[in-house]
Amino acid sequence: MKMVLSHRQKEELNKAIADYLSSNGYMNALNEFQKETGMNGELDKKYMGLLEKKWTSVIRLQKKVMDLEAKLSEAEREFNAGGPPRDKRSPTEWIPRPPEKYALTGHRSPVTKVIFHPVFSVMVSSSEDASIKVWDYETGDYERTLKGHTDSVQDISFDHTGKWLVSCSADMSIKLWDFSSFECVKTMHGHDHNVSSVTFVPSGDFIVSSSRDKSIKMWEVATGYCVKTFTGHREWVRMVRVNHDGTLLASCSNDQTVRIWVVSTRECKVELREHEHVVECVAWAPESSTPAITEAAGNDIKKGARAGPFLVSGSRDKTIKLWDISAGICLFSLVGHDNWVRGLVFHPGGKYLLSASDDKTLRVWDIKNKRNQKTLDAHSHFVTSLDFHRNAPYVISGSVDQYIKVWECR
Amino acid sequence: MNPAAVAVPVEDTHGDGRWMSLHNRFKTETKDREPDVLMIGDSLIQQLGNTEMWEKMFVPLHCLNFGIGADQTQHVLWRLQHGELDNINPKIIVLLVGTNNHGHTADQVTEGILEIVKCIRDKQPQAQLIVMGIPPRGQHHNPLREKIATINTALAEKLSSLVNTQFLNVDPGIFLNPADGSISRQDMYDYLHFTQKGYRKLCEPLLEELQNLLKNFVKVESDMGEVEGAAAE
Repeated sequence: MKMVLSHRQKEELNKAIADYLSSNGYMNALNEFQKETGMNGELDKKYMGLLEKKWTSVIRLQKKVMDLEAKLSEAEREFNAGGPPRDKRSPTEWIPRPPEKYALTGHRSPVTKVIFHPVFSVMVSSSEDASIKVWDYETGDYERTLKGHTDSVQDISFDHTGKWLVSCSADMSIKLWDFSSFECVKTMHGHDHNVSSVTFVPSGDFIVSSSRDKSIKMWEVATGYCVKTFTGHREWVRMVRVNHDGTLLASCSNDQTVRIWVVSTRECKVELREHEHVVECVAWAPESSTPAITEAAGNDIKKGARAGPFLVSGSRDKTIKLWDISAGICLFSLVGHDNWVRGLVFHPGGKYLLSASDDKTLRVWDIKNKRNQKTLDAHSHFVTSLDFHRNAPYVISGSVDQYIKVWECR
Repeated sequence: MNPAAVAVPVEDTHGDGRWMSLHNRFKTETKDREPDVLMIGDSLIQQLGNTEMWEKMFVPLHCLNFGIGADQTQHVLWRLQHGELDNINPKIIVLLVGTNNHGHTADQVTEGILEIVKCIRDKQPQAQLIVMGIPPRGQHHNPLREKIATINTALAEKLSSLVNTQFLNVDPGIFLNPADGSISRQDMYDYLHFTQKGYRKLCEPLLEELQNLLKNFVKVESDMGEVEGAAAE
């Protein structure tokens, strides 16, 4: 057999073998071996366990090679068959493609929420480990951690300028962060229980929050005072979202309802009850999705009748429902997830809706045809949150598996 | 006074405080998690949490595991009375305990389990309760198996009249060699604790019941890879 090792490598191998023999008590073999190789009697500590290490690392590397090959073939399949190349696909059509571009780790507990910054090429994640982390989604680099909450961070949100970040936590507080200095500038108290969701109104002057204390509160950013409280839900309010002109709030709750509130009067305008389990999330449909929704609803929207605004809700009953708020009816349901629906976001182009679920998948729904167009096996545990960039081809997801994944769209 | 039915914490004879640490962790989990299914018991429940089956079949049901090795009925009762059933609203609670009550008679253990059932019914009236029969133990036929059989018979009778409560006694015969009544180490590696294979036998009927109650059928082999509509591209 031709020897492929250099002199130095051969010497190293011999020493590693000698160490192996000695540490396993093969003393006769060791003596003979040392004699035959002309090695002196002393064993160098440096070579302790080296042979075993090399032995196992080969298997580890083989596994890694197999994983990478599988990933490559998936990427090739996507590239050849999954759709037109990026430059040929219009931004209104692009959807996330596996495999993920980055799988980022850093959080030490489940990731609760992931959001894009509206201006910079960064994203922000929150976790049950009480921290908020900032990442560059283009390079996959970790940037920094915002610390201050003392319990699970439940939700985070930017104002439209991206200068302010607001967060809420199971520690019952809401924190406002200056996103240029990364300092917490205000902490707001007032909820009597876990604060589950938080968001800015479009003008950026107010923050709206929902809590396990069954209430929704509105806070003035300038003063940090609570200026309005909305009550009516009979249980934990999971999420609250403001519509595009800031006049309506949509909320969902463990009481299995979705409610619409008029901001100016604090009255509950509509109560939507059709889900059969806790409603986890809601999202207002953007203007761009109106044609697709109208077509999907068909005869349910009478000609000439005022339709919209539209809202989607996702529930632990595994369904996603699309509601016409002015009529107060459910237009249709999207069924496909095998477990709780945890996150919803509209495609910026308006043709698609994306969802995240405890069935570990992300799904892309073709609204017009009310069908599940694409399913991505996204994580190894429940997927808790997702976001779609408003003008760059990226989707991000967060999971109980503690990973944050960046998906490129084509 | 029946020592199996009076709540007491486990005495920390080892001196490392692990039992209390686990109890405290479970209490934290009741605050952070919203389980649909809650499993309560001793090592037979605890070790289920380390199986592949747990990851694949129980975790997707939003299931928590409040099992502590070596616990007897009075210890489980103490834990439940001290916070492990607060803050949560599970749809189903599964109880498996009693195999460790060595100093107690069959009647005492039965009463101990019934006391736990009462506590669960008080604190979680909305939940469906599944009390599991104690599985047989010991490689060959032995007095403990007799005692366990007596307990299971008594439980079946006493639980039959309770609402939202059922007794699920997995047929002990499936663990016994029909020729000589022996238990195989393929099912129970130390003739008490289950192997992966043993857990599959024990849990198949349980999972069926859980999924019936939840109307929630978990796909084991969920369609791998992405599903792409032909018309979509």
